[in-house]
Amino acid sequence: MSDSRANILKWFVIGLFVVLGLRLFQIQIVDRSYRRAAENNVLRYEVQHPPRGEIYDRNGEFLAQSVASYDLMVVPRNIPKDRGFDTVALARIAGVSVEQLTRSLQAAKNYSHSRASVVVRQLTTEAKLLFDEGSFDGFYTLFRTQRSYPRKIAGNLLGYIGQVNDKIISRNPYYSRGDYIGYSGIESAYEDILRGEKGEKVSVVDVRGTVKGPYQDGIYDRAPVAGTPITTTIDAPLQQFAEELMEGKVGSIIAIEPSTGEILVMVSSPTYDPDELMGRDRGNNYVKMLDNPRQPLFNRAVMSSYPPGSTFKLVNGLIGLQEGVVTPNRRYPCEQGYHVGRGVKCHEHRSPLNLKEATANSCNAYFCYVFRDILDNPTRGGVMKGGYDNWAKYVRSFGFGEKLGSDFASERGGFVPTSEFYDDYYPRWNSLTVISMAIGQGELGCSPLQMANLAATIANRGYYYIPHVVKHIEGRDSLDSRFYERHYTMVEEKHYEPIIDGMWGTVHRDIGTAGVAYVKGLDICGKTGTAQNPHGKDHSTFLAFAPKDNPQIAISVYVENGGFGSSVAAPIASLLIEQYINGEVTRPELAQYIKDMKIAYPNYEKRK
Amino acid sequence: MRSANDKLGWARIDWKTILLFVLLVFIGWLNIYAAVYNEATAGSFELSSKYGMQLIWIGISTIAAIVILLIDDIYYHQLAYPAYALMFIVLVMTLFIGKEVNGAKSWLVLGPVSVQPAEFMKVATALALARFASEYDFSLSKIKGLVGVGLILLLPMAVILIQNDMGSALVYCSFFLMLFREGLNPWVYYAIFLVVGLFVGSFLLSPTSLLILLILLFVVSQLLGNHNPKESAIYLASVGFLSMFIYGVSWLAGGAMDYYGALLIASLVMVVVALVYAYRRKLSNIYLFVIMFVCSLLFLGAVDYVFNEVLQIHQQKRILDLLGLESDLKGWGYNVHQSKIAIGSGGLFGKGFLDGTQTKYDFIPEQSTDFIFCTVGEEWGFVGSVVVLALFALLIVRLMKMGERQQEPFRRVYCYGVAGIFLFHTIINVGMTIGLMPVIGIPLPMFSYGGSSLLAFTILFFIAVRLDSQNSSIDTVYKPY
Repeated sequence: MSDSRANILKWFVIGLFVVLGLRLFQIQIVDRSYRRAAENNVLRYEVQHPPRGEIYDRNGEFLAQSVASYDLMVVPRNIPKDRGFDTVALARIAGVSVEQLTRSLQAAKNYSHSRASVVVRQLTTEAKLLFDEGSFDGFYTLFRTQRSYPRKIAGNLLGYIGQVNDKIISRNPYYSRGDYIGYSGIESAYEDILRGEKGEKVSVVDVRGTVKGPYQDGIYDRAPVAGTPITTTIDAPLQQFAEELMEGKVGSIIAIEPSTGEILVMVSSPTYDPDELMGRDRGNNYVKMLDNPRQPLFNRAVMSSYPPGSTFKLVNGLIGLQEGVVTPNRRYPCEQGYHVGRGVKCHEHRSPLNLKEATANSCNAYFCYVFRDILDNPTRGGVMKGGYDNWAKYVRSFGFGEKLGSDFASERGGFVPTSEFYDDYYPRWNSLTVISMAIGQGELGCSPLQMANLAATIANRGYYYIPHVVKHIEGRDSLDSRFYERHYTMVEEKHYEPIIDGMWGTVHRDIGTAGVAYVKGLDICGKTGTAQNPHGKDHSTFLAFAPKDNPQIAISVYVENGGFGSSVAAPIASLLIEQYINGEVTRPELAQYIKDMKIAYPNYEKRK
Repeated sequence: MRSANDKLGWARIDWKTILLFVLLVFIGWLNIYAAVYNEATAGSFELSSKYGMQLIWIGISTIAAIVILLIDDIYYHQLAYPAYALMFIVLVMTLFIGKEVNGAKSWLVLGPVSVQPAEFMKVATALALARFASEYDFSLSKIKGLVGVGLILLLPMAVILIQNDMGSALVYCSFFLMLFREGLNPWVYYAIFLVVGLFVGSFLLSPTSLLILLILLFVVSQLLGNHNPKESAIYLASVGFLSMFIYGVSWLAGGAMDYYGALLIASLVMVVVALVYAYRRKLSNIYLFVIMFVCSLLFLGAVDYVFNEVLQIHQQKRILDLLGLESDLKGWGYNVHQSKIAIGSGGLFGKGFLDGTQTKYDFIPEQSTDFIFCTVGEEWGFVGSVVVLALFALLIVRLMKMGERQQEPFRRVYCYGVAGIFLFHTIINVGMTIGLMPVIGIPLPMFSYGGSSLLAFTILFFIAVRLDSQNSSIDTVYKPY
């Protein structure tokens, strides 16, 4: 009995050890997942952030620069428990208050004891060097880059960058927590090019996350690829001048090089110092801007929809010529207005005028006749049966009513109503119902970009290139092909000359509305606009190009509640054209007068 | 023949087994060195470090081993009860003047060193049990014997449990090995394995498969005793057909019953058949199996009820984790998870001495103590682990053989007691590191860092060797115990 029991026990013992051996065989030989888990345990994949691509103006001047900046990181576990660290010294170096430092340290601890968190963002290089001199166990700095704007201009144009949010992370696998992304303007439109390629450093760490050295001498490390610099079409000095001229006014300026579609100037006023949306005060400044009733973050140049006002008479004149309902020499009378139906008033001027004179003089009555003839044209079936749609088609061919397709993601298309739109409103309607559009009022809405594009189209005598803001991306031979395509309007080249003559007259003839824009030898052609609006005083707008032959610049200036086109918008356009072509301004007192002009906006202040 | 100048019997000392023991101590120390090794301190030898301290304890243990071999074995017999009483008093004192470490108040501070009385209590208990079981009228089939053994085991267990050191208390279960050898009723073991198996099975298996297994188990068990393969096969087939029939009927009647219910009813009906069969053939053991079967079903129901209705959620989780069904990697499952990673990543030949990444960079908590086997697994791989396990197995089997060759029950019982303690520690500790056993904090003999444990195992082992070397079977000298 006992012998057999001893035997049973012996085999029982051996059996137990065999079970252990089989289990070891399973986890050490058969199952490979433990090997992977061990690698994940000891390897730390650390992101290396590339410097963001720089942004230049058309002449190679910096608009946005990337400067070194360091995030102060902490792994709470690695702070020596016995000694702690000198809180006061660290706060001084990082340039924050002790309370702030303590607070973010607590936040880091709450997040994780063993993982790294940012304590203080955007340390300067000097602060980083000071930090390196001290000994702060548990803390380290992480190289990042920060935007810096030497001229502090073009806030809305350049856009701003900020940390990615959860939504972006979930949609785009490239981004992870703490990365930056362009949120508007060029930063957003060219994000893929500017951001570069993140690198990775693989290090061996112990359980406390202390780095013990590179993994396999760094053969798995990937260096970050710096973001690609972009040369924009912006003329920095001109942009700065334009922003100065717009100070105290709400509105927008866009200047385009007609022969290429390159945007020389894009101002949305009020603008802001782009540096304010960088750095540690970003949050506060951002909220302040959001609270500002004049909405500095709203890029009026591409996002707003204004009534074009009298500048739109150019379009109606061109369509009339193409449709054959008007000839350059056709004269119409004006008895201080067009008195059919509700009627349209006009200012005091001699009558009758021909097309050129009516353009230069901005006669409302003349364009009412033209507009009605276009719409009621019996060969097109009259206004309800195709006349209106025919007109709207023409208008769209000028780039109105739809997005132009520029490189601004936030671009909006304005509004050109369809005949269905009116059918919904009126059981019966005719050309008198929509007569306001003869003079660019009524339901029409267009962005300053579209108005500048109209100036460029007329300067080109019938076609435009999609306006764009990027001239050259380093390492690429060309831009997107859409920026090299000519977009022809439905109006033939020959019909532009009478209108252009009229625009020349606006500035050069005594009958013209904008003699103030005259600059000797520049042959500026322009068109004033005084747009009625429900928000108060008329908007002042001016659309121009120069010189008349071989135009170098086309411009649209829109000043909200600025009054007559000739009072604010025309001088601004004139000064900018002069500055651009001649490189200097001969009327400093005019420039100063405009700069000092502050327009009251009771409407915006009320809105708050 | 004992020569005059070999009064202590050193000539018959089992040097081979001692060599095994020393080899394990040496390998254990190497692994402690690896566990605390890191590049920063490489090259310098620190006596105050863990491997240095362990070296000192190895020295102390060596002295203790020599002293033990110098003491005549009669004293061990005589001192068994006094030693037990003394250690028990120390154990109780620890409750009051002890130091608390990791929640267990099980340490006594003696000047510069801390010792764990529970470790030495094992030696005293092994001796006391040996003494008790070697008394001439001792029998495990008598109430007196059972109560005596129970008392000797339960007293220290209770005190250690009060100290809140469950691992050390469970070690006293290891004496079941010795008790089996000394003739404890095998039904006790059958019942223990059945209860443990049912408990684990109730979580790992579906009720239906568990029930099928139970039926098979009991039928095959009685088959081994009654040699009735034909009847057994018919019985099993009947249960099967009956269950199918019930299932089919219920399905036709609207399908309210699942197969488990059908099988349960079928098996309970067939229990009656089994009882009738047993009565006619006068096979009394079948009654016992039927009782065990019914008890098993009741036990399963009770486990279900207690788990779902009585236990708190955190207690449920702990049980599920223990069975490997759920893992709380952040909490207490973390150690086992990291330990499995370290051992699993060792592969066939391991990463090499001092080259284990998990070991070197401290991923496994308590690696030099309870989780020392991770170092073996990671740095020496499958081959090294199997060699170490084989050495342990060999040592334990040799200890049991040592017991078998003793003429006197005292020596045999003691040797088996020691073998059981070594076995329990090794299986539970290694099983824990590879996720086969629950996390019970008991050291791996000779490997885990810690002076008390090393010294206690040394004393345990060398007393066995000492007793063996004076085995009276060869010279039949009468020893008046």
